[in-house]
Amino acid sequence: MSSNGTSRLDPHLIAELRAAIGDDAVVSRAAELKVYECDGWTIEKAAPEILLRPRTTAEVSAVLKILHRDGVAFVPRGAGTGLSGGCLPLGAPVMICTSRMNRILAVDYLSRRVEVESGVVNLHVSNAVAARGFFYAPDPSSQAACTIGGNIAENSGGPHTLKYGVTTNHVLGLEIVLPDGEIAALGSAAEERCGYDLVGAVVGAEGTAGIVTRATLKLTREPEARRTMLAVFNDVDDATRAVSAIIAAGIIPCAIELMDQLIIRAVEAAFHAGLPTDAGAVLIIELDGATAGLDDHAQRVGELVRGAGAREVRLARDDAERAILWKARKRAFGAVGRLAPNYATQDGVVPRTRLPDILRAIGAIALRNNLRIGNVFHAGDGNIHPIVLYDERDADQTRRAVAAGREILQACVAMGGSLTGEHGIGAEKIAEMPLIFSPEDLIVMSELRRVFDPGGRANPNKVIPTPGSCVEVSAPRRQVPI
Amino acid sequence: MNDHDAPQLVRTFTALIGESRIRAPRGRETRAASIIAEPRDAREVAEIIRKCEADAVTLAPIGAGRTLAEMRPVPVAVGVSLAHMAAIIAYEPDDMTIIAEPGLTLAALNRQTAQHGQHLPADPPHPELATLGALIGAAHAGPMRHAEGTVRDLLIGVRFAGHSGRLVHGGGRVVKNVAGYDLMKVMTGSFGTLGVITETTFKVRPIAEQYAFAFAAYGDVASACAAAAQIHHAAALAHLEVASPAASRAIGLRGGFTVIAGLGGSNAEVAELSARALSMLAPAAKIVTGAEAIAARERLRDCDFADAAIVALIAVPPAELARCLEPAEVEFVAHAGCGVARISLSSGANPAEARAALARIRTTVGAAGGNLRVLRAASEIRTGLEFFDQPPRAAFALMKTLKRTFDPHGVFNPQCFVGGL
Repeated sequence: MSSNGTSRLDPHLIAELRAAIGDDAVVSRAAELKVYECDGWTIEKAAPEILLRPRTTAEVSAVLKILHRDGVAFVPRGAGTGLSGGCLPLGAPVMICTSRMNRILAVDYLSRRVEVESGVVNLHVSNAVAARGFFYAPDPSSQAACTIGGNIAENSGGPHTLKYGVTTNHVLGLEIVLPDGEIAALGSAAEERCGYDLVGAVVGAEGTAGIVTRATLKLTREPEARRTMLAVFNDVDDATRAVSAIIAAGIIPCAIELMDQLIIRAVEAAFHAGLPTDAGAVLIIELDGATAGLDDHAQRVGELVRGAGAREVRLARDDAERAILWKARKRAFGAVGRLAPNYATQDGVVPRTRLPDILRAIGAIALRNNLRIGNVFHAGDGNIHPIVLYDERDADQTRRAVAAGREILQACVAMGGSLTGEHGIGAEKIAEMPLIFSPEDLIVMSELRRVFDPGGRANPNKVIPTPGSCVEVSAPRRQVPI
Repeated sequence: MNDHDAPQLVRTFTALIGESRIRAPRGRETRAASIIAEPRDAREVAEIIRKCEADAVTLAPIGAGRTLAEMRPVPVAVGVSLAHMAAIIAYEPDDMTIIAEPGLTLAALNRQTAQHGQHLPADPPHPELATLGALIGAAHAGPMRHAEGTVRDLLIGVRFAGHSGRLVHGGGRVVKNVAGYDLMKVMTGSFGTLGVITETTFKVRPIAEQYAFAFAAYGDVASACAAAAQIHHAAALAHLEVASPAASRAIGLRGGFTVIAGLGGSNAEVAELSARALSMLAPAAKIVTGAEAIAARERLRDCDFADAAIVALIAVPPAELARCLEPAEVEFVAHAGCGVARISLSSGANPAEARAALARIRTTVGAAGGNLRVLRAASEIRTGLEFFDQPPRAAFALMKTLKRTFDPHGVFNPQCFVGGL
């Protein structure tokens, strides 16, 4: 069933699509399509009328040519782990899923390049090259499931992007099927580009440029060693100031993650990871690099966080202790489920030095809306993920939770920050885009989009607000792990 | 197009923004533009653009004029110098971000940030001439790209004046941001063909506490590149070059094909890296430290083959680099870990030979999956020389559409970018 308000697809068109890519690559039964009605942003749901699962670039091209001829809109989908409704079909009856295009095509260790199909799972890339001492750096928390194609659409990040950068810093070349079915090779395996940086324009375009079918990625050498530590603070303010102190000292850890008291207590109640439940906040700080000097850096970081008010600094003595710390961090979201029937996670960014201010603002917003809000996030980047606890059975509480999410974003923007650090605009934040971009900015961005998609058929009603595209958010944001 | 009525242009633009904003081109600027406008802010840039569009005259942003003077077949009518838009708007050392106007030079920016132990780690030749606008527009880079990436990785926000003088911004001043389309990438390497950048926001990085480099000479390109690959695999380096004999001499190292491995970090790190480099590189490997190392690194950065007949930038997958550098007539500084090299061809006084040599290298680079861009050519060789490779057909079609969309009047530095865009 379409929930897009568009007319049903012509049966002849469906037959033609079946003929083009085979019956087994077409899903059209409503019960099966229900699986595809949302991604990690579950507030709104809309199943496509038909799901296509092509196996090759040629099949994607054949399908898009047919859709182009008939003026039918489509939405690309990877693994559906996105957090902003990026692959929610809104006015797009056809969904095209890349998950069967999941081959790693070539690895060139000497050049540190890997060529993959876009449906390859992120972690599979790192796993494939791990034995030779390499990894693919962007590591979203969904990396065991999310696809490279989805990462490219969203310009995904992860905890270790503080040092290693986000997806766009690691993609050199793309093969993309444009909305008219034309196959275009953008970029190459070389670091310099010939002409405009179209790869840079497509990465982060949230699937509005066409369907990426292949990518040439950079591989990164595994660091020689790591040092992972836990810094314990009585006061969350001190913890956020410690983040700036570390960065200002010229040390770039590969990750600095913050958990506040609400989260610490939830984690301890659930997993007994040994976190101090009386602490106001903890930081998990990880350094990596050459073995020589790493202990000096770790010692310096220890001094800096103590100087900022840490009452205790624990250095993980071995991989097992490191694993416990990361487990506590990565399972934090699961633990939060014990605190309230529902929770909604925001994604915002502030300049790092404003972390104390934004956390105080979040505290005030929680108080004002009579809600509990926990914080577990990528502190080193200034990328916050406040978790608003609520009970969806209570309509007023739900309304307040929505309001709190929006107020937090407004506070981020007021502090010189941004609406999203790594989850994307998608359907979720489209209405907030005018908070940071002028009408002129948005016009230019929509013109850029039309360079790739003059007909506006690739993932319509996303990223840029247009009359009618704004989703009225009536329930809070998602409740899935970050 | 070369028959601009300069006096008329001066009158027109003087009437528009005042006498103090208009001057005649100087030195190499004469090859880039017929008159120079010096706007004081984005609004004046926008006015200039609107006037150029209305009068159907061309314009291009101009920094030191080096890039434009080389690539323009004929001067544009109006060179928009951003020399008076050279302020630091906001520098937040603790956030490690800086907002600056595009006329500021990289050297001037780095003098400010150095006071806080930070720098914008982009190191094209002669940073005292390289404006931020040119750094972005021409996507300049240098040895530090090995560890720090290029301007593409460092630019987090941009404002520009586009067609009709509209003022546009993309990105912001936070280091992680996926809101909206990435206009920073679109502007990077666009050579002033899409608009005039009016403000830039960059990430800055800490300057390593200690710097040294190891170097060792080899008898041929292949063994030097093999040694470079080996040390690249064994250590996280600050930079990694292979320099041809003439380039090595220019840097102040003796001839031969020299591997230069930059070692940065704490004292302990540099000590350990030095020991490792000595054990891995050729028996005669040496370590250079302190002020001497920094001076040599600057010579390495600035080695731009000023007297060569043709200078070009090639980029290939790093494993393919050695065979692209093998032709005997090529001198080069190669960023071995990145697969990028600045090469020079000095084929005596014979333009035909120089062109033929360039064509051969272009073919080799293309076959290796890479690309070549001419940076400079002697005047007798320039005529008819393609500065850019032709992009693949579908990609080029998109580029043409992009250009048409962002520059419907065709006034922004036309006819000297890829495929004549």
